[in-house]
Amino acid sequence: MTSKKPHWLLRTLVYVGLIVAVAVVLYPVILVCKTAFAPGNQLGLSASPVPDGLSTEHFRELFGAEGSDGELLFLRHAANSIIVALLTTIVGVGLSCTAAYALSRFKFPGRKAGLTMFLVVQMFPATLLLLPLYVILNKVGLLNSIAGLVLVYATTAIPFCVWTLKGYFDSLPRELEEAARIDGASQWMIFRKIILPLARPGIAVTALFSFMTAWNEFIMASTFMTNQSRYTLPVLIQSSVTEHTADYGLFAAGAVVTSIPVMIAFYVLQRYLVGGLTAGAVKG
Amino acid sequence: MIRQLRDFAIAGVVALLIATAAFVAVRNRELSARQVELATRALDAAIAGRPTPPDVHAVIVSAARPSAKHPTLRRREVLDWPGTTPWRPLAAGGSPDDKLIYDAAARLDRNAETSCATARAGGEALIRQLYLGDRLARPLRASIAADACTGRLRFQEMLRDSTGRAIAVGPLDHATAPRHGDIAIAITTPTAPAPYPWLVIIGVFGLGAALAAAGALAGGNKAKLGTFAGIGALAIPCILWGAPIATTAILILGAGLALAQHAGLTDRTMRGIKTHRTALSFLAPAAVSMLLLVAAPFVIGLVLGFYDHHQGQWTFVGLDNFGEILSGGGRPLDDPLNFWFILGVTVLWTVANVALHVSLGVILALALSRSWLRGKGVLRMLFILPWAVPNYITALIWKGIFENEHGAMASILDYCGLENVDWFGSWATSFSANVITNTWLGFPFMMVVALGALETIPKELYEAASVDGASAWQRFRHITMPHLKPALGPAVALGSIWTFNMFNVIFLVSKGDPGGSTNILVTDAYRWAFERGERYGMAAAYATIIFLILLLWTVFGTRIVRSKGEAS
Repeated sequence: MTSKKPHWLLRTLVYVGLIVAVAVVLYPVILVCKTAFAPGNQLGLSASPVPDGLSTEHFRELFGAEGSDGELLFLRHAANSIIVALLTTIVGVGLSCTAAYALSRFKFPGRKAGLTMFLVVQMFPATLLLLPLYVILNKVGLLNSIAGLVLVYATTAIPFCVWTLKGYFDSLPRELEEAARIDGASQWMIFRKIILPLARPGIAVTALFSFMTAWNEFIMASTFMTNQSRYTLPVLIQSSVTEHTADYGLFAAGAVVTSIPVMIAFYVLQRYLVGGLTAGAVKG
Repeated sequence: MIRQLRDFAIAGVVALLIATAAFVAVRNRELSARQVELATRALDAAIAGRPTPPDVHAVIVSAARPSAKHPTLRRREVLDWPGTTPWRPLAAGGSPDDKLIYDAAARLDRNAETSCATARAGGEALIRQLYLGDRLARPLRASIAADACTGRLRFQEMLRDSTGRAIAVGPLDHATAPRHGDIAIAITTPTAPAPYPWLVIIGVFGLGAALAAAGALAGGNKAKLGTFAGIGALAIPCILWGAPIATTAILILGAGLALAQHAGLTDRTMRGIKTHRTALSFLAPAAVSMLLLVAAPFVIGLVLGFYDHHQGQWTFVGLDNFGEILSGGGRPLDDPLNFWFILGVTVLWTVANVALHVSLGVILALALSRSWLRGKGVLRMLFILPWAVPNYITALIWKGIFENEHGAMASILDYCGLENVDWFGSWATSFSANVITNTWLGFPFMMVVALGALETIPKELYEAASVDGASAWQRFRHITMPHLKPALGPAVALGSIWTFNMFNVIFLVSKGDPGGSTNILVTDAYRWAFERGERYGMAAAYATIIFLILLLWTVFGTRIVRSKGEAS
């Protein structure tokens, strides 16, 4: 911050410290990549960051695994993950757009209570609802079904979307709406013709975040989807390293394939993330 | 008049929903009672060798005999009763009920074994205690065999496949039994449930509307009386069906509506809805889905906490679950199943992690904000890498690193000339493994928040301070800290809630080892539900307690964190 440069010794110390920190941060990630391409059976993630040799056997095993009826399991689980995440996003964004707009623009009794409710639900962990949701889905026969998992994910996706979209709508100027209102446009028309097109970037970011959250979710999926053909990718990946089997080669291959798309998305979106997350806490 | 009828219509629909629920409940109860009774009657007939009533599938099943080819497999034969078909092997794919029949027969045998064994053991104890001679003991043994091993061992119940069928199973009387028969089973066919009484419902609704209208025409206090009577009319069918709870609920609803009308509440609510109808219609999709998806399960979760769940049966136990949890279940304080032990671990876990996240995050942010530093952008990108990795994958990676013998930690310790430890063998190392994992995963958030706050500090402040001769520490203490606090306050509040509930790390890295001692509250609640004999009631009570703790923390705790931030 100060314009004056400190002593070179201090500067070297800072650089060394940062390099060590970067090494600690990168080490586990490098280990996974190495294990994914290393040949042979891996009972753990071994220390050396350089593989003994290069092989694609774990990837071949991952993509080639077949279920009881001969279907390719990885494709099946990837399809499950994509469908669940897509439907969750559609349900979340679709149901929360109008509500976020109402909370951003209208004054009505119970507005503050509603905002607090959405915030609290978003902050509190979905695992608290896991048991009642399990009992209900069991009762109505929706365990092991895509629809059931989407409903479960919607419990967190909707409040998240409401909050993020509300933040975005707040940042849009009101002058356009007022002009349209003077011209006689109905509230619904204003929302559809002015707000939605303006908010497209905000909606896209929100949609991507809720897609990523659903894509990365593990414990609900592993509890509700017990039938192998209904697994999502996180459940598949975890099932390769349990108490009974420890195949870290397969795990690493799966981890690399599953994480790379979301990590790219994360880097593209990360500048929106901090603002959105803390905005809620500050305003609430 | 219009207003009266409007209120009646809205409350009437709610009352009708209650009445319908009562109707369905009563109908199902009667239906099951009738089905079970029919199954029992058919079973008696089959045991006595008489023909069974129609609509009942009755069979005689042979005793289980080891299969010739695979002695571990036990086979049975079955005879449809009364039938002309010969005995056939009981096997999957025979008749659609075969699996059911096999399971029911096996259950009866199991019951017989346990009950015979207990009765015999009890009888033998009695014989020994009374020093009964062989002559006196023999009739006692015989009566035990007759009573406990055959006579009383029947069971009848509704099938748990929601097909609306009942099953009755009992041992055969060997005097009248057909050739090598052993067990009789009767399964009823589902009967069509009684139709919904549309005419009655429409009738009482009309009657209620007429009463409400009459009251409104009379005006004054009679209007409220009319409202109450109108809603009350909808309770009549509930009285006839014998549903006291629904009757009371509808009457309370009617009284509530009359009181609300008296206070002018209904009019004001309607006016409110009318003025804000755009806002409400925009809000409706999200609000309704939150009501169905969050509020309903939440309330059900609260209620389940007052029940005990055992093998598909729910029993109301009042506050027992909460009592067991809060008293520690009679276990010593250092027992990993004691609630207070887990709470202690959870608090320690949260404090340790948040402290590490904040200090590491702030140190890195301070280093990264030096103006002379090169490659800031790249470094920042590298440091947020752990945030980008999905957290279940992070947890599994670190589990692989801490894995005994084969993990990276073992070789690293070995390289440094240190003895490798069994990371998940003792509490301290297991807990540390979790903390290391979660620190790796969580510091980038705090770092990014701190970096954002540091950017907002005007450089002139530092320059002015330097001119005034402030030391580096003084500049940090009086310029940097006050600017960091307002941003870090909410971040700490949020981070503490995240860490308190960091399910994946605990569940995937240490799995609670050793012996469940590194569990935190959320993972322990999960284990009560899914790993300790489906004690759903306990798990639900746990979730309620966790919710209350979090609520207290968000209301009071975060206020403390935030006010500290804003004060300075």
